Amino acid sequence: MSVGSVPAGYEVKDPGYPTPEENYLTNSRGLLTWAFTLDHKRIGVMYLVGVSVSFLVAGLLALGIRLHLFAPEGWLFNNSFFKWLAPDKAPNDIYNQVFTLHGAIMVFLFIIPSIPAALGNFLVPVMLGAKDVAFPRLNLSSFYLWVAGAVFFVMALLASGLDTGWTFYTPYSTTTDTSVIMATTGAFILGFSSIFTGLNFIVTINTMRPPGMTWFRMPLFLWATYSTSIIQVLATPVLGITLLLLIAERTMHIGIFDPEYNGDPVTYQHFFWFYSHPAVYIMILPAFGVISELISVHSHKRIFGYRFIAYSSIAIALLGFLVWGHHMFTAGMGPMTTIIFSALTFTVSVPSAIKVFNWLATMYKGAISLTTPMCYAIAFIFLFTIGGLTGLHLGTLATDMHLHDTYFVVAHFHYVMVGGTLVAFLGAVFHWWPKMFGRMYNELWGQISAVIVFLGFNLTFLPQFVLGSRGMPRRYATYDPEFAGLHAMSTWGALLLGVGLFVALIVLLVSLFKGKKAPANPWGAATLEWACTSPPPFYNFERAPVVGDPYEFGDIQWDGASDRYVKVEPKRETIPTEKPSESPAHAGE
Amino acid sequence: MLNMIPAAIMPLADYTDSKLSFFPESASTFSSDSDWIFYFISIVALIFFIAIVIALFGFTVKYKKAKGMAAESQTDHNTTIELVWSIGPSFLLIVMFYFGAQGYLAHRTIPEGSYELGVDAYKWGWGINYGKFVIHPELHVVAGEPTKLTMTSSDVIHSLYIPAFRVKKDIVPGRYNYMWFKATKPSEKVVTDEELEQLAAKDAETNASWNYDERQFTPDGYTFYDLYCTEYCGTNHSEMQTVVVVHETRADLDAWIKKYSKRASTESPASYGQKLYERRGCKTCHSIDGTKVGYVGPTWKDLAGTSRPLANGDEVLADENYLRESILNPKAKIAAGYQPVMPSYKGQLTDDDIYSLVEYIKSLSESGSGGEAEADAGEGTEEDTSPGANDEQAGDEAAQ
Repeated sequence: MSVGSVPAGYEVKDPGYPTPEENYLTNSRGLLTWAFTLDHKRIGVMYLVGVSVSFLVAGLLALGIRLHLFAPEGWLFNNSFFKWLAPDKAPNDIYNQVFTLHGAIMVFLFIIPSIPAALGNFLVPVMLGAKDVAFPRLNLSSFYLWVAGAVFFVMALLASGLDTGWTFYTPYSTTTDTSVIMATTGAFILGFSSIFTGLNFIVTINTMRPPGMTWFRMPLFLWATYSTSIIQVLATPVLGITLLLLIAERTMHIGIFDPEYNGDPVTYQHFFWFYSHPAVYIMILPAFGVISELISVHSHKRIFGYRFIAYSSIAIALLGFLVWGHHMFTAGMGPMTTIIFSALTFTVSVPSAIKVFNWLATMYKGAISLTTPMCYAIAFIFLFTIGGLTGLHLGTLATDMHLHDTYFVVAHFHYVMVGGTLVAFLGAVFHWWPKMFGRMYNELWGQISAVIVFLGFNLTFLPQFVLGSRGMPRRYATYDPEFAGLHAMSTWGALLLGVGLFVALIVLLVSLFKGKKAPANPWGAATLEWACTSPPPFYNFERAPVVGDPYEFGDIQWDGASDRYVKVEPKRETIPTEKPSESPAHAGE
Repeated sequence: MLNMIPAAIMPLADYTDSKLSFFPESASTFSSDSDWIFYFISIVALIFFIAIVIALFGFTVKYKKAKGMAAESQTDHNTTIELVWSIGPSFLLIVMFYFGAQGYLAHRTIPEGSYELGVDAYKWGWGINYGKFVIHPELHVVAGEPTKLTMTSSDVIHSLYIPAFRVKKDIVPGRYNYMWFKATKPSEKVVTDEELEQLAAKDAETNASWNYDERQFTPDGYTFYDLYCTEYCGTNHSEMQTVVVVHETRADLDAWIKKYSKRASTESPASYGQKLYERRGCKTCHSIDGTKVGYVGPTWKDLAGTSRPLANGDEVLADENYLRESILNPKAKIAAGYQPVMPSYKGQLTDDDIYSLVEYIKSLSESGSGGEAEADAGEGTEEDTSPGANDEQAGDEAAQ
């Protein structure tokens, strides 16, 4: 339908392109306006840059790990360059520190903040129809806490490295002479950043919904963010306390975790996983939210089972608190405790499965556009299904006895964390990129990046399932020669995955300079963020937006004449309202 | 790097020669249970996975539409279907949980009258305690007989894992953890004693230690199963491996234990000390060629007889008394630049063992072979005769 063919009594709504003054990116200039901004969108963009740099660093460390494991006796860190770089460290020590930093940076600096902090900050208020988050200053401070935490991690790396693994298990962490205190202080600070973000979203979603935005009119991404925020607020303090206790144990030998002072190391594991298992859902729940949006929008079909998906997010958030013991099946808990944890673990798989089935049902009889975000969404469903199903082998006690702490576990959680969260993150970045920066990227190269990432990822981690079931333990710097073939295969996969991610990065960066101007609604989506211009104006919406069904695609029409999706609605009288004042109502004047 | 390409393009090469299976050899009563449940879960998972993938790619191909086309249907719920796929799979989960829990209880129910061994895990090695001061890094058990391991760690958390037996248990410092298994497939003796002697002589010449991976049999000529540490424990975590040998009969095992029970009268203390250095975990922390990188303890080369700076600023002469004290009470005098991480060997080494180790350390030092040292060595031998004799008596009593 072209604009000219709109029947009488209907009007076409298309906000067009923003003017430079309206646009949040350009309405004020200079580094300081960014550094002290209270605008959730700018904070989101700063987070995006931060987590991307962290991901790049952690990804390069991952390549280091894989290249070292090219040969059974170790390859990369045995080279003379590393002897020159760190003369008093054996190749094994370098390997141990590299895998520790890879894990710590990936988890604390990338996966946990990637979707909630970077994309959530940008999207939550716009999708909700609000002007900003409830506490803009808290929001900015949470970003700077993140930066401070990252600085501590870098300092730990430069001081004397860190070789405990990202889990800081006692008593190893209380006895090693590497910078445990520096790194745990960093993680402690990052915990505050995470709590602040969570608090902010909970209050924003509870109090700042515009008229008409009921709970069941919220896009599923907001449900996912809300569930995630609950976990962040409730679980993260436990991590903070645990890390403080660890520091106290290390410096004052108070005797909680270290058996030398009558402590119990398994207590640490209980504390640690009481946070860190729910944290796994901090990593994956937002990804579920993203995929629900992507599948629905790019299939141009209502999401199937909205309420089931929404409730299953809450169910996962709550059940996620009850299953931490499955990290300790072989640690020597009582048999009954172990069996109860195994039973509870299985309950979490049900809501996850519900989501997968609902996404497939959404695609059924849809009008699927194979855009880059959709390619990533499809890759997500494939990879997350493998990750989820192999979790069954680990939740089952008899098989976990064999597979625990082997490469099977490594493969399983990489399928969930990387195949899940990272791929969803990439899909989300490609999906909302035109909204964030007002530019379209090269669709073909975006699709190519999705395919390379998908292939490279599978080549990296599928062999690791076989390695694990054949008995290859994790965190080994050297290994028995019989595992060499599969390790080499995995390394080639990692290199390919690296190429795919590099292509994605180039596609996005090039689009900033050479990309076509993005229309307000390039995909034909119905959620509110597509109702404002791309990029959005400073206050997102001139007046409180008219809230409709986030998955109602009936009035979104493709307009061939102007080559974009437009909203077509019956004409109605609107009462003219005053333009809003310069600062938002909640700014506290 | 180029020479690794063949290995990369033939990833299954290692498994094609009679080893096509997904698992390592199955060699305990737990293996078949564990594998059966694994295959059961895998098949269920695969059925779901294939269905999901067919739907995923099938829908993608079938419902791919040009830009701007509307979807055929906007159906967004069907309570019956949603309830079926929410509740239906739960029954399969209950089955998995049930078999898993049952298999796990078998791991936790240790049969009465099991053959009992002690395991001491330390950074980075294993001491399997066969009783009467016979402590050896290799785990030797008897086929068809339940074996119970009582495990302790003297430093950080370790985890004992035998892939062929499908068993694993963490070893937590400050508590005893137990595990048991019943091995089913005995190891084979694949090399004759003469050939072994030749190999040992060759190794002694080149000063090489036994390479299990390369030779695929133990210094006694048996094939073996791998035993790994699977809880990350620091620098040489990946080197913390040993082997399991399954003997056909108890008599075989007892003969093997007897062979390692004490120093043969014909063997010099220094050469026995070298064996203890290899066997008792000394070599993971102390080098004998002066290397510092990768070792958490001071090298033994040129150690004996020299003056050593201590962490508290004092100096000490590394004589026999200091060496003996450092073995029995390592935290008493910490060498400068090192952490107090060495566990005590009190009660784990006989006096003759300690004497042999000290003699070995002295043999690595030029200044250690002075006249004074020799006199001390003489004393040591005299002192040693009585505990050694007691030991033998104890052994005889046990035999009766």
